[in-house]
Amino acid sequence: MAVTPPPPADPAPERVVFWFGCNIARHGEIVRLATRMLEAVGIEPAPAGGPSYCCGSPKEANARIAGGMARRTMEAFNAMGRDTVVTWCPSCHMNMDDFMAPATEAAFATAHISEVLHARRDRLAPLLRHRVAARRALPHLHHGFNGRVPVNALVPDLLRLIPGLEVPDHPCRAPGHMCSALAGVPGALAAAQRALLAAAEETGADALVTIFHSCHRETVSLERGRPGLRVVNWIHLLAESMGLAYRDDYKAWRNAPDPREAVGPDRLAAAGETAFERLVEPELRRPPPV
Amino acid sequence: MSAARLPPPRAPDLAALIRAESARLAAACTACGACVGACPMVPTLPAVAAAAPETVAAGMRAVLRGEAQAAPAGSVAWIGACTRSGLCTAACPERLDAAYMMRLAGMRLRGALGAGEEGGPPRLPAREDPGWSARVKAFARLTLTEEEQARWL
Ligand code: SF4
Repeated sequence: MAVTPPPPADPAPERVVFWFGCNIARHGEIVRLATRMLEAVGIEPAPAGGPSYCCGSPKEANARIAGGMARRTMEAFNAMGRDTVVTWCPSCHMNMDDFMAPATEAAFATAHISEVLHARRDRLAPLLRHRVAARRALPHLHHGFNGRVPVNALVPDLLRLIPGLEVPDHPCRAPGHMCSALAGVPGALAAAQRALLAAAEETGADALVTIFHSCHRETVSLERGRPGLRVVNWIHLLAESMGLAYRDDYKAWRNAPDPREAVGPDRLAAAGETAFERLVEPELRRPPPV
Repeated sequence: MSAARLPPPRAPDLAALIRAESARLAAACTACGACVGACPMVPTLPAVAAAAPETVAAGMRAVLRGEAQAAPAGSVAWIGACTRSGLCTAACPERLDAAYMMRLAGMRLRGALGAGEEGGPPRLPAREDPGWSARVKAFARLTLTEEEQARWL
Protein backbone atom coordinates (compact mmCIF):
# COMPACT_ATOMS: atom_id res chain seq x y z
CA MET A 1 0.00 0.00 0.00
CA ALA A 2 1.34 3.42 -0.93
CA VAL A 3 2.02 5.61 2.03
CA THR A 4 1.29 9.28 1.53
CA PRO A 5 4.14 11.25 3.03
CA PRO A 6 3.09 13.85 5.61
CA PRO A 7 2.93 17.38 4.23
CA PRO A 8 6.18 19.24 4.73
CA ALA A 9 6.22 21.27 7.91
CA ASP A 10 6.14 25.00 7.44
CA PRO A 11 9.84 25.92 7.41
CA ALA A 12 11.13 27.97 10.32
CA PRO A 13 10.84 31.66 9.48
CA GLU A 14 13.96 33.03 7.86
CA ARG A 15 15.67 35.44 10.26
CA VAL A 16 16.88 38.61 8.56
CA VAL A 17 17.95 42.14 9.39
CA PHE A 18 15.60 44.67 7.83
CA TRP A 19 17.94 47.61 7.18
CA PHE A 20 15.53 50.45 6.55
CA GLY A 21 18.08 53.29 6.34
CA CYS A 22 17.90 56.72 7.92
CA ASN A 23 15.77 59.26 6.06
CA ILE A 24 12.75 56.96 6.06
CA ALA A 25 12.40 58.00 9.72
CA ARG A 26 9.99 60.58 8.29
CA HIS A 27 7.67 57.71 7.39
CA GLY A 28 7.71 55.42 10.44
CA GLU A 29 4.50 53.77 9.28
CA ILE A 30 6.27 52.48 6.15
CA VAL A 31 8.91 50.77 8.31
CA ARG A 32 6.19 49.30 10.52
CA LEU A 33 4.05 48.09 7.61
CA ALA A 34 7.02 46.66 5.70
CA THR A 35 8.06 44.77 8.83
CA ARG A 36 4.57 43.31 9.19
CA MET A 37 4.55 42.40 5.50
CA LEU A 38 7.84 40.51 5.79
CA GLU A 39 6.43 38.67 8.80
CA ALA A 40 3.28 37.84 6.87
CA VAL A 41 5.30 36.05 4.18
CA GLY A 42 7.21 33.93 6.70
CA ILE A 43 10.23 36.07 7.52
CA GLU A 44 11.41 37.15 10.96
CA PRO A 45 12.85 40.64 10.45
CA ALA A 46 14.93 42.58 12.96
CA PRO A 47 14.45 46.20 11.86
CA ALA A 48 17.61 48.34 12.11
CA GLY A 49 18.20 51.88 10.89
CA GLY A 50 18.96 55.48 11.76
CA PRO A 51 22.40 57.06 12.18
CA SER A 52 23.67 54.07 14.23
CA TYR A 53 23.44 51.90 11.10
CA CYS A 54 24.77 54.47 8.65
CA CYS A 55 26.22 53.44 5.28
CA GLY A 56 28.70 56.32 5.51
CA SER A 57 27.46 58.28 2.49
CA PRO A 58 26.49 61.42 4.48
CA LYS A 59 30.22 61.80 5.16
CA GLU A 60 31.49 60.80 1.71
CA ALA A 61 33.69 63.91 1.53
CA ASN A 62 35.97 62.27 4.10
CA ALA A 63 36.89 58.66 3.38
CA ARG A 64 38.29 58.09 6.85
CA ILE A 65 35.04 59.12 8.58
CA ALA A 66 32.71 57.53 5.99
CA GLY A 67 34.72 54.30 6.05
CA GLY A 68 34.64 54.21 9.85
CA MET A 69 30.86 54.63 9.93
CA ALA A 70 30.41 51.95 7.28
CA ARG A 71 32.68 49.53 9.14
CA ARG A 72 30.78 50.04 12.40
CA THR A 73 27.53 49.17 10.58
CA MET A 74 29.07 46.08 8.96
CA GLU A 75 30.32 44.87 12.32
CA ALA A 76 26.90 45.45 13.89
CA PHE A 77 25.21 43.40 11.15
CA ASN A 78 27.81 40.64 11.44
CA ALA A 79 27.19 40.53 15.21
CA MET A 80 23.43 40.15 14.68
CA GLY A 81 24.13 36.70 13.26
CA ARG A 82 21.42 36.74 10.57
CA ASP A 83 21.99 35.28 7.12
CA THR A 84 20.52 38.11 5.13
CA VAL A 85 20.28 41.87 5.33
CA VAL A 86 17.10 43.00 3.56
CA THR A 87 17.50 46.56 2.30
CA TRP A 88 14.95 49.28 1.73
CA CYS A 89 16.97 52.30 0.59
CA PRO A 90 18.54 52.13 -2.90
CA SER A 91 21.40 54.31 -1.74
CA CYS A 92 22.18 52.00 1.22
CA HIS A 93 21.88 48.96 -1.06
CA MET A 94 24.36 50.33 -3.61
CA ASN A 95 26.72 51.58 -0.90
CA MET A 96 26.77 48.11 0.60
CA ASP A 97 27.78 46.64 -2.79
CA ASP A 98 30.17 49.39 -3.83
CA PHE A 99 31.92 50.61 -0.68
CA MET A 100 30.96 48.73 2.49
CA ALA A 101 31.40 45.04 1.69
CA PRO A 102 34.46 45.71 -0.51
CA ALA A 103 36.24 47.09 2.58
CA THR A 104 34.83 44.96 5.44
CA GLU A 105 34.00 41.24 5.48
CA ALA A 106 30.25 40.60 5.36
CA ALA A 107 28.89 37.51 7.11
CA PHE A 108 25.55 37.90 5.32
CA ALA A 109 23.93 38.15 1.92
CA THR A 110 21.75 41.06 0.80
CA ALA A 111 18.42 41.39 -0.98
CA HIS A 112 16.17 44.35 -1.62
CA ILE A 113 12.73 44.18 -0.02
CA SER A 114 11.07 44.23 -3.45
CA GLU A 115 13.00 41.07 -4.38
CA VAL A 116 12.04 39.36 -1.13
CA LEU A 117 8.33 40.11 -1.39
CA HIS A 118 8.32 39.27 -5.10
CA ALA A 119 10.03 35.93 -4.47
CA ARG A 120 7.30 35.16 -1.92
CA ARG A 121 4.38 36.56 -3.89
CA ASP A 122 2.61 33.19 -3.73
CA ARG A 123 2.33 33.80 0.02
CA LEU A 124 1.59 37.51 -0.32
CA ALA A 125 -1.15 37.25 -2.97
CA PRO A 126 -3.75 35.47 -0.80
CA LEU A 127 -3.32 38.15 1.86
CA LEU A 128 -4.23 40.93 -0.59
CA ARG A 129 -7.96 40.58 -0.11
CA HIS A 130 -9.26 44.14 -0.02
CA ARG A 131 -9.78 46.60 -2.81
CA VAL A 132 -7.88 49.84 -2.32
CA ALA A 133 -8.92 53.47 -2.67
CA ALA A 134 -7.49 53.75 -6.18
CA ARG A 135 -8.60 52.49 -9.56
CA ARG A 136 -5.54 53.01 -11.72
CA ALA A 137 -2.16 53.39 -10.03
CA LEU A 138 0.84 54.71 -11.94
CA PRO A 139 4.19 53.71 -10.41
CA HIS A 140 6.71 56.54 -10.13
CA LEU A 141 9.90 55.07 -11.60
CA HIS A 142 13.51 56.20 -11.92
CA HIS A 143 16.26 55.08 -14.30
CA GLY A 144 18.80 54.44 -11.54
CA PHE A 145 19.00 51.45 -9.18
CA ASN A 146 16.89 49.44 -11.63
CA GLY A 147 20.18 48.22 -13.14
CA ARG A 148 21.04 46.66 -9.75
CA VAL A 149 17.61 45.47 -8.66
CA PRO A 150 14.80 45.42 -11.25
CA VAL A 151 12.43 47.43 -9.05
CA ASN A 152 10.70 48.89 -12.10
CA ALA A 153 9.33 45.44 -12.89
CA LEU A 154 9.10 43.91 -9.40
CA VAL A 155 7.00 46.63 -7.74
CA PRO A 156 4.40 46.94 -10.55
CA ASP A 157 4.18 43.13 -10.56
CA LEU A 158 3.37 43.15 -6.85
CA LEU A 159 0.84 45.97 -7.23
CA ARG A 160 -0.92 43.95 -9.93
CA LEU A 161 -1.75 41.35 -7.26
CA ILE A 162 -4.13 43.84 -5.61
CA PRO A 163 -7.70 42.97 -6.58
CA GLY A 164 -9.33 45.40 -8.98
CA LEU A 165 -6.28 47.65 -9.34
CA GLU A 166 -5.01 48.60 -12.80
CA VAL A 167 -1.30 49.34 -13.05
CA PRO A 168 -0.57 50.97 -16.41
CA ASP A 169 2.79 50.77 -18.18
CA HIS A 170 4.21 54.14 -19.10
CA PRO A 171 7.72 54.97 -20.34
CA CYS A 172 8.11 57.91 -17.93
CA ARG A 173 11.34 57.48 -15.94
CA ALA A 174 12.83 60.21 -13.78
CA PRO A 175 16.59 60.71 -13.85
CA GLY A 176 18.60 59.61 -10.84
CA HIS A 177 18.06 56.69 -8.48
CA MET A 178 15.50 58.50 -6.33
CA CYS A 179 14.11 62.01 -6.01
CA SER A 180 16.54 63.23 -3.34
CA ALA A 181 19.27 63.00 -6.00
CA LEU A 182 17.37 65.49 -8.16
CA ALA A 183 16.76 68.02 -5.40
CA GLY A 184 20.35 69.28 -5.68
CA VAL A 185 20.17 70.07 -9.42
CA PRO A 186 18.26 73.30 -10.12
CA GLY A 187 14.98 72.59 -11.90
CA ALA A 188 15.50 68.82 -12.12
CA LEU A 189 12.94 67.82 -9.51
CA ALA A 190 10.28 70.16 -10.90
CA ALA A 191 10.87 68.83 -14.44
CA ALA A 192 10.56 65.23 -13.21
CA GLN A 193 7.33 66.04 -11.38
CA ARG A 194 5.83 67.74 -14.42
CA ALA A 195 6.65 64.68 -16.51
CA LEU A 196 5.08 62.44 -13.87
CA LEU A 197 1.88 64.51 -13.82
CA ALA A 198 1.72 64.36 -17.62
CA ALA A 199 2.10 60.56 -17.46
CA ALA A 200 -0.70 60.39 -14.88
CA GLU A 201 -2.94 62.37 -17.17
CA GLU A 202 -2.08 60.26 -20.22
CA THR A 203 -2.80 57.02 -18.39
CA GLY A 204 -5.87 58.29 -16.54
CA ALA A 205 -4.25 57.36 -13.23
CA ASP A 206 -5.95 58.39 -10.00
CA ALA A 207 -2.95 57.40 -7.88
CA LEU A 208 0.80 57.96 -8.13
CA VAL A 209 2.73 55.20 -6.41
CA THR A 210 6.15 56.07 -5.06
CA ILE A 211 8.72 53.35 -4.53
CA PHE A 212 11.32 55.03 -2.34
CA HIS A 213 10.97 57.19 0.76
CA SER A 214 12.70 60.25 -0.69
CA CYS A 215 10.37 60.14 -3.70
CA HIS A 216 7.41 59.92 -1.36
CA ARG A 217 8.66 62.87 0.65
CA GLU A 218 9.07 64.99 -2.50
CA THR A 219 5.90 63.84 -4.29
CA VAL A 220 3.16 64.04 -1.64
CA SER A 221 2.69 67.76 -2.30
CA LEU A 222 1.34 66.91 -5.77
CA GLU A 223 -1.96 66.15 -4.04
CA ARG A 224 -2.42 69.87 -3.35
CA GLY A 225 -5.07 71.33 -5.60
CA ARG A 226 -5.57 67.97 -7.34
CA PRO A 227 -8.48 66.35 -5.49
CA GLY A 228 -8.68 63.44 -7.94
CA LEU A 229 -5.08 62.39 -7.41
CA ARG A 230 -3.67 60.33 -4.55
CA VAL A 231 0.03 59.91 -3.76
CA VAL A 232 0.81 56.66 -1.96
CA ASN A 233 3.84 54.48 -1.44
CA TRP A 234 3.74 50.92 -2.79
CA ILE A 235 3.95 49.60 0.78
CA HIS A 236 0.90 51.69 1.72
CA LEU A 237 -1.13 50.20 -1.13
CA LEU A 238 -0.14 46.60 -0.36
CA ALA A 239 -0.91 47.21 3.33
CA GLU A 240 -4.29 48.67 2.46
CA SER A 241 -5.10 45.59 0.45
CA MET A 242 -4.02 43.39 3.37
CA GLY A 243 -6.35 45.33 5.67
CA LEU A 244 -3.51 46.82 7.73
CA ALA A 245 -4.41 50.20 9.18
CA TYR A 246 -2.00 53.13 8.88
CA ARG A 247 -1.83 56.90 8.66
CA ASP A 248 0.48 58.75 6.28
CA ASP A 249 1.36 61.44 8.80
CA TYR A 250 4.14 63.01 6.76
CA LYS A 251 1.76 63.65 3.86
CA ALA A 252 -0.85 65.11 6.21
CA TRP A 253 1.71 67.42 7.84
CA ARG A 254 3.34 68.49 4.58
CA ASN A 255 0.02 69.37 2.96
CA ALA A 256 -1.58 70.98 6.00
CA PRO A 257 -2.11 74.77 5.93
CA ASP A 258 -0.31 74.86 9.29
CA PRO A 259 2.07 71.90 9.75
CA ARG A 260 2.74 72.81 13.39
CA GLU A 261 -0.96 72.57 14.19
CA ALA A 262 -1.27 69.33 12.19
CA VAL A 263 1.57 67.70 14.14
CA GLY A 264 -0.12 68.67 17.39
CA PRO A 265 1.28 69.55 20.79
CA ASP A 266 1.95 66.02 22.07
CA ARG A 267 4.11 64.93 19.16
CA LEU A 268 5.74 68.30 18.98
CA ALA A 269 6.77 67.84 22.60
CA ALA A 270 8.10 64.36 21.79
CA ALA A 271 10.23 65.74 18.95
CA GLY A 272 11.37 68.68 21.09
CA GLU A 273 10.35 72.27 20.34
CA THR A 274 13.81 73.40 19.28
CA ALA A 275 14.45 70.36 17.09
CA PHE A 276 11.04 70.73 15.48
CA GLU A 277 11.50 74.41 14.79
CA ARG A 278 15.04 74.07 13.46
CA LEU A 279 15.06 70.69 11.69
CA VAL A 280 11.50 69.65 10.85
CA GLU A 281 9.29 72.68 10.33
CA PRO A 282 11.32 74.33 7.52
CA GLU A 283 11.07 71.13 5.48
CA LEU A 284 7.32 70.80 6.05
CA ARG A 285 6.77 74.44 5.07
CA ARG A 286 9.04 74.42 2.00
CA PRO A 287 7.17 75.46 -1.18
CA PRO A 288 6.43 72.42 -3.38
CA PRO A 289 8.59 72.02 -6.50
CA VAL A 290 5.56 72.42 -8.82
CA MET B 1 15.18 33.99 -0.53
CA SER B 2 16.77 35.58 -3.59
CA ALA B 3 19.66 37.03 -1.62
CA ALA B 4 23.04 37.79 -3.19
CA ARG B 5 26.22 36.77 -1.37
CA LEU B 6 28.73 39.58 -1.11
CA PRO B 7 32.25 38.98 -2.43
CA PRO B 8 35.16 39.17 0.03
CA PRO B 9 36.77 42.57 0.68
CA ARG B 10 39.30 43.75 -1.88
CA ALA B 11 40.79 46.65 0.11
CA PRO B 12 41.67 47.20 3.79
CA ASP B 13 39.66 50.41 4.10
CA LEU B 14 37.54 52.87 2.14
CA ALA B 15 40.39 55.22 1.17
CA ALA B 16 42.43 52.31 -0.20
CA LEU B 17 39.37 51.05 -2.07
CA ILE B 18 38.76 54.47 -3.67
CA ARG B 19 42.41 54.63 -4.75
CA ALA B 20 42.52 51.10 -6.16
CA GLU B 21 39.16 51.22 -7.94
CA SER B 22 39.89 54.67 -9.40
CA ALA B 23 43.18 53.43 -10.86
CA ARG B 24 41.68 50.19 -12.20
CA LEU B 25 38.78 51.91 -13.95
CA ALA B 26 40.81 54.85 -15.25
CA ALA B 27 43.21 52.40 -16.87
CA ALA B 28 40.34 50.71 -18.73
CA CYS B 29 38.53 53.90 -19.79
CA THR B 30 39.15 55.10 -23.35
CA ALA B 31 37.49 58.50 -22.81
CA CYS B 32 35.19 57.77 -25.73
CA GLY B 33 32.44 59.94 -24.22
CA ALA B 34 29.56 57.47 -24.68
CA CYS B 35 28.71 57.87 -20.99
CA VAL B 36 28.45 61.65 -21.42
CA GLY B 37 26.21 61.19 -24.44
CA ALA B 38 23.85 58.93 -22.48
CA CYS B 39 23.63 61.12 -19.38
CA PRO B 40 20.16 62.62 -18.76
CA MET B 41 21.67 65.45 -16.72
CA VAL B 42 23.77 66.89 -19.57
CA PRO B 43 20.84 68.89 -21.05
CA THR B 44 20.60 70.72 -17.70
CA LEU B 45 24.26 71.81 -18.04
CA PRO B 46 24.58 74.08 -21.13
CA ALA B 47 28.38 74.34 -20.91
CA VAL B 48 28.73 70.56 -20.75
CA ALA B 49 26.22 70.00 -23.55
CA ALA B 50 28.27 72.35 -25.76
CA ALA B 51 31.60 70.60 -25.02
CA ALA B 52 32.94 67.53 -26.83
CA PRO B 53 31.81 64.41 -24.89
CA GLU B 54 35.33 62.98 -25.21
CA THR B 55 36.80 66.02 -23.45
CA VAL B 56 34.25 65.83 -20.63
CA ALA B 57 34.90 62.10 -20.18
CA ALA B 58 38.67 62.61 -20.26
CA GLY B 59 38.29 65.03 -17.35
CA MET B 60 36.44 62.38 -15.33
CA ARG B 61 39.22 59.93 -16.14
CA ALA B 62 41.81 62.50 -15.03
CA VAL B 63 40.11 62.77 -11.64
CA LEU B 64 40.30 58.99 -11.26
CA ARG B 65 43.98 59.14 -12.20
CA GLY B 66 44.59 61.51 -9.29
CA GLU B 67 44.80 64.60 -11.51
CA ALA B 68 41.74 66.38 -10.15
CA GLN B 69 43.27 69.84 -10.46
CA ALA B 70 43.79 69.31 -14.20
CA ALA B 71 40.19 68.31 -14.98
CA PRO B 72 38.29 70.92 -17.05
CA ALA B 73 35.51 72.83 -15.30
CA GLY B 74 32.90 71.15 -17.52
CA SER B 75 33.94 67.71 -16.30
CA VAL B 76 33.76 68.89 -12.71
CA ALA B 77 30.27 70.34 -13.28
CA TRP B 78 29.15 67.09 -14.93
CA ILE B 79 30.41 64.96 -12.06
CA GLY B 80 28.81 67.36 -9.57
CA ALA B 81 25.42 67.01 -11.29
CA CYS B 82 25.42 63.19 -11.27
CA THR B 83 22.11 61.85 -9.93
CA ARG B 84 23.03 58.16 -10.35
CA SER B 85 20.73 57.35 -13.25
CA GLY B 86 23.07 54.58 -14.34
CA LEU B 87 22.39 55.12 -18.06
CA CYS B 88 26.12 55.77 -18.51
CA THR B 89 26.92 52.24 -17.36
CA ALA B 90 24.53 50.75 -19.90
CA ALA B 91 26.13 52.91 -22.64
CA CYS B 92 29.79 52.12 -21.95
CA PRO B 93 31.29 50.08 -24.83
CA GLU B 94 34.07 48.87 -22.51
CA ARG B 95 31.44 47.47 -20.13
CA LEU B 96 32.75 49.61 -17.31
CA ASP B 97 30.49 50.64 -14.45
CA ALA B 98 30.58 54.29 -15.45
CA ALA B 99 28.10 55.23 -12.71
CA TYR B 100 30.51 53.83 -10.13
CA MET B 101 33.34 55.80 -11.78
CA MET B 102 31.26 58.96 -11.45
CA ARG B 103 30.65 58.19 -7.79
CA LEU B 104 34.35 57.66 -7.15
CA ALA B 105 35.20 60.85 -9.05
CA GLY B 106 32.58 62.79 -7.08
CA MET B 107 33.97 61.57 -3.76
CA ARG B 108 37.48 62.56 -4.82
CA LEU B 109 36.42 66.01 -6.05
CA ARG B 110 34.67 66.59 -2.71
CA GLY B 111 37.91 65.85 -0.92
CA ALA B 112 37.44 62.24 0.24
CA LEU B 113 41.17 61.50 0.06
CA GLY B 114 42.33 64.88 1.37
CA ALA B 115 43.88 67.95 -0.25
CA GLY B 116 47.42 66.60 0.03
CA GLU B 117 46.69 63.55 -2.05
CA GLU B 118 44.57 65.44 -4.61
CA GLY B 119 47.14 68.21 -5.06
CA GLY B 120 44.75 70.96 -3.99
CA PRO B 121 41.49 71.83 -2.26
CA PRO B 122 38.18 70.10 -3.10
CA ARG B 123 36.75 71.25 -6.42
CA LEU B 124 33.17 70.41 -5.44
CA PRO B 125 31.46 71.42 -2.20
CA ALA B 126 30.67 68.59 0.21
CA ARG B 127 27.00 67.61 0.09
CA GLU B 128 26.90 67.29 3.85
CA ASP B 129 23.79 68.29 5.72
CA PRO B 130 25.10 69.33 9.15
CA GLY B 131 21.67 68.66 10.66
CA TRP B 132 21.26 65.20 9.09
CA SER B 133 21.63 63.02 12.18
CA ALA B 134 19.62 65.32 14.46
CA ARG B 135 16.92 65.67 11.78
CA VAL B 136 16.58 61.91 11.34
CA LYS B 137 16.28 61.50 15.10
CA ALA B 138 13.70 64.32 15.37
CA PHE B 139 11.54 62.70 12.67
CA ALA B 140 11.97 59.32 14.37
CA ARG B 141 10.60 60.81 17.60
CA LEU B 142 7.60 62.07 15.59
CA THR B 143 6.80 58.85 13.72
CA LEU B 144 8.06 55.92 15.81
CA THR B 145 6.95 54.83 19.26
CA GLU B 146 9.48 54.99 22.09
CA GLU B 147 9.71 51.22 22.03
CA GLU B 148 10.36 51.16 18.27
CA GLN B 149 13.05 53.81 18.66
CA ALA B 150 14.71 51.80 21.43
CA ARG B 151 14.65 48.54 19.46
CA TRP B 152 15.24 49.68 15.89
CA LEU B 153 17.57 52.68 16.00
S1 SF4 C 1 31.66 55.20 -21.90
FE1 SF4 C 1 33.06 53.91 -20.67
S2 SF4 C 1 35.02 53.93 -21.81
FE2 SF4 C 1 33.75 55.58 -22.68
S3 SF4 C 1 34.39 57.42 -21.49
FE3 SF4 C 1 32.61 56.57 -20.41
S4 SF4 C 1 33.46 55.18 -18.85
FE4 SF4 C 1 35.14 55.63 -20.33
